[in-house]
Amino acid sequence: MIVCQDIRKSYRAGHGRHEVLKGINLTINKGERVALLGRNGAGKSTLIKQIGGVEMPDSGRIIRQMTSSWPIGFSGGFQGSLTGYDNARFIARIYGRSYAEMREFVEDFTELGGSLKMPVKTYSSGMRARLAFALSLAIEFDCYLIDEVILVGDQNFQRKCHEQLFEKRADRAMVIASHDVHTIRNICNRALLIHNGEGAVYDDVAEAINLYEAL
Amino acid sequence: MASLSKGWDIQTRVIGALMLRELTTRFGRENIGFLWIMAEPLLFAVLVGLLWRVMKGPLEYGVDIVAFVVSGYIPLVLFRSVIMRAVNSFTANGSLMYHRQIKVLDLILVRFIIELIGHMMAYLAIATALRAFGMFPWPHDIGFLMLGWGYFSLFTLSVALIVAPLSEMSDILEKFIPVTTYLMVPFSGTFFLVGVLSPEAANVVLYSPPVHAMEMMRFGVFGPAIDPHYDFIYPLEFSLPCVAIGLFLCRVVRRRLVVE
Repeated sequence: MIVCQDIRKSYRAGHGRHEVLKGINLTINKGERVALLGRNGAGKSTLIKQIGGVEMPDSGRIIRQMTSSWPIGFSGGFQGSLTGYDNARFIARIYGRSYAEMREFVEDFTELGGSLKMPVKTYSSGMRARLAFALSLAIEFDCYLIDEVILVGDQNFQRKCHEQLFEKRADRAMVIASHDVHTIRNICNRALLIHNGEGAVYDDVAEAINLYEAL
Repeated sequence: MASLSKGWDIQTRVIGALMLRELTTRFGRENIGFLWIMAEPLLFAVLVGLLWRVMKGPLEYGVDIVAFVVSGYIPLVLFRSVIMRAVNSFTANGSLMYHRQIKVLDLILVRFIIELIGHMMAYLAIATALRAFGMFPWPHDIGFLMLGWGYFSLFTLSVALIVAPLSEMSDILEKFIPVTTYLMVPFSGTFFLVGVLSPEAANVVLYSPPVHAMEMMRFGVFGPAIDPHYDFIYPLEFSLPCVAIGLFLCRVVRRRLVVE
């Protein structure tokens, strides 16, 4: 279980501060798939960063009783100047996993072939998404934090993601920030709608989507 | 105890992985690879040593001038490199904050350890080479030499721990770092011995902790002939509170750190 209690976060904006999150409450239970809905700039990524511990909230508490991945997105989590292989090696080292297994999984999942020997900064966003997913799936977490990158890329990759994430790891919790209402309707069983810094949790995902689309 | 040893495992794993990552990004795997870490201090010390040799003759304060300059210049370059690399080290490594087991303190420690190893390797290499030409004495007391390095390193780390978070709080600091590290030259004890200064001047420079460390190192190398002046307690009275302040600032800055 991961519990967010009254999370507030603001950023510097000129001389003042812009408050992005104004007291968000959210509980993520084991195996639950929570959608984060909201318009661009509503604070979905910001909330995911607080849950993942990348940034610290101004106030409020996050209680983590299960392991969570780092926020999986197009950037972050890896180093652009290093190659795909070097990034895999680094991740394997800091999470104490065997590099041989990691390498095999990454090669198999990403199908990037020789590109894995190139610096990540030369990758397209589709390639980055593949690598980001491969690295975090290789570690195995109780909860995956997915920031926008869900179901990007080509058909083949979408199918693989679906298989690895929603079939093989159906028992894991997920927090998914996305604008893809179709996917969210199919996958998630709860939703948090963020608007003007306030968050509301809906057990009925369809209702949350309707409200989101009316914004 | 289980959680303590687990914590230690994670800590060593993270430091090791970060060091390898830093070495790969900075030096690559081409040609001599990570041996480049000793190239810069080595060249600096040798060239400055030769310059002094040409300008001032073979001896300084009764010891070989090249050995004297090298023994002081390498720690000074260490201080300068560590401080330069501490500036903005958190934002430069923002992507590492995605992994919760990596703490900002690790970033400073890793850069410090790499510089320390590089500079000690350079010191050892030059001393060995000079010794082959009879220009470097066999150390009078290796323990004292290491103790001096220890004091100097502690001072360097304590300053880096303060500079790194402050540089995140204000951009102005970054502009002043080069000139400040340059002003360190007279207060590092690199180019003089405390024993040859006037008592008034000696009193002033002994307020600077690295001068004590430098005197210990030189005593370890050249022996009592250089009339060393040092205190074991004063440098600690300076550095340990600095470490505490630095750790506190790191904590404050981590809370505010904005990661892309």
